[in-house]
Amino acid sequence: MPDYQYIYTIYTFSMANQKYLNIADFTIKLQSNFEFELEIGYDSFITKEETPEPDVTIQCYPGIPTLDLPKKSLVFEAKNEIQKFYSIYQTGPSFAFIIYNQQTKDEIQQVAILDETFSRWEVYSNYEDDKIIPLKYPLGPIIMHYLTVKSSAVMIHASCIFDGQKGRIFTGFSGAGKSTISKIWADAGNLVINDDRLIIRKLDNDFFVYNTPMYYNDRPKKTPLDAIFLISHFPENKMKKLDGALAVSRVMAFCIQNNFDSNFIQNNLNFISELSTNVSVFELGFVPNESVINFILENETTGTN
Amino acid sequence: MTLQKLFNLKSKFVTRIVGEELILVPLTGNVAQMTALFTLNETGKFIWENINDKNTVEDIEYLMTEVFDIDRETAENDIRNFLKKLETTFA
Repeated sequence: MPDYQYIYTIYTFSMANQKYLNIADFTIKLQSNFEFELEIGYDSFITKEETPEPDVTIQCYPGIPTLDLPKKSLVFEAKNEIQKFYSIYQTGPSFAFIIYNQQTKDEIQQVAILDETFSRWEVYSNYEDDKIIPLKYPLGPIIMHYLTVKSSAVMIHASCIFDGQKGRIFTGFSGAGKSTISKIWADAGNLVINDDRLIIRKLDNDFFVYNTPMYYNDRPKKTPLDAIFLISHFPENKMKKLDGALAVSRVMAFCIQNNFDSNFIQNNLNFISELSTNVSVFELGFVPNESVINFILENETTGTN
Repeated sequence: MTLQKLFNLKSKFVTRIVGEELILVPLTGNVAQMTALFTLNETGKFIWENINDKNTVEDIEYLMTEVFDIDRETAENDIRNFLKKLETTFA
């Protein structure tokens, strides 16, 4: 018993590991009684600033708890023909996220509980080399998405470029050319905010785009948002301005969404309606070379070519 | 798709009016349907808004001839096309 007591005392003394992250101007506090680490992409998002009221607090625990989740409480599943990525269960006012290991398929990698205020998570992870990795992919991006669900914000699959004056988002289906067009702008000396996953926020009356942590290290970036392009490869450069319901529905299709809750959808619709009223939305067919840059600069004010 | 079936499905959509059009977003429990949004023009919006537990196809046809400058046959075709399109997308 004395040995146990001693060990316990040391254990308790090493409590309160905590880190603060600033992602898209949201403050995230991670805390645990246990050693935890973050994947490399989070390094530049760690902030020394200790915020008394973070937007979200993540309490991290080792071990996967056994939860009694009736099948009828399953509200959402992200899966394809081959495997499941994650499942969401509604347990009273809270949500339980079951995250599956992508290598071993059905093995549970993490369990996360989100409370009804959407400001507190409990994340349970298996030990990896004596440490836990609470924001391990894909839970990290899922938590970031849920930061946007009750805010004036959305998460979108897109690339974003800042040319020193304007911020432009390029979005489209897989293979549409998001990374290609991003590289074309980058080769011409422009700043790539990110070419995969972004958060758009409304702050005061303006819209801003932020990068989010990826699997590689990159510094946090932010740009004002001036235009959204729905892209596809095309034999010639061609663009058309979209308005009204068409603009809203086309942009929304590329936003990250878990549409099992009508409030989530309504929040998205409200935000994107406002976004597309204030930021120009274009359909852009493009030839994958530098000609698309001048084409956009010459035509985005008139809207159609 | 019948009007009755569509009425039963209405609660499974979240809607937003943008100008004179209506966006329909289905509630869904998986990722597969998340890009299946539907945009209705003014006529489609009118039909959608008049689908309830009382109106028949004939009632909506009549209402359409009252509101829009169209004859009964055009209204019937519009409703038939509307139901067919929704069935293709959301059935």
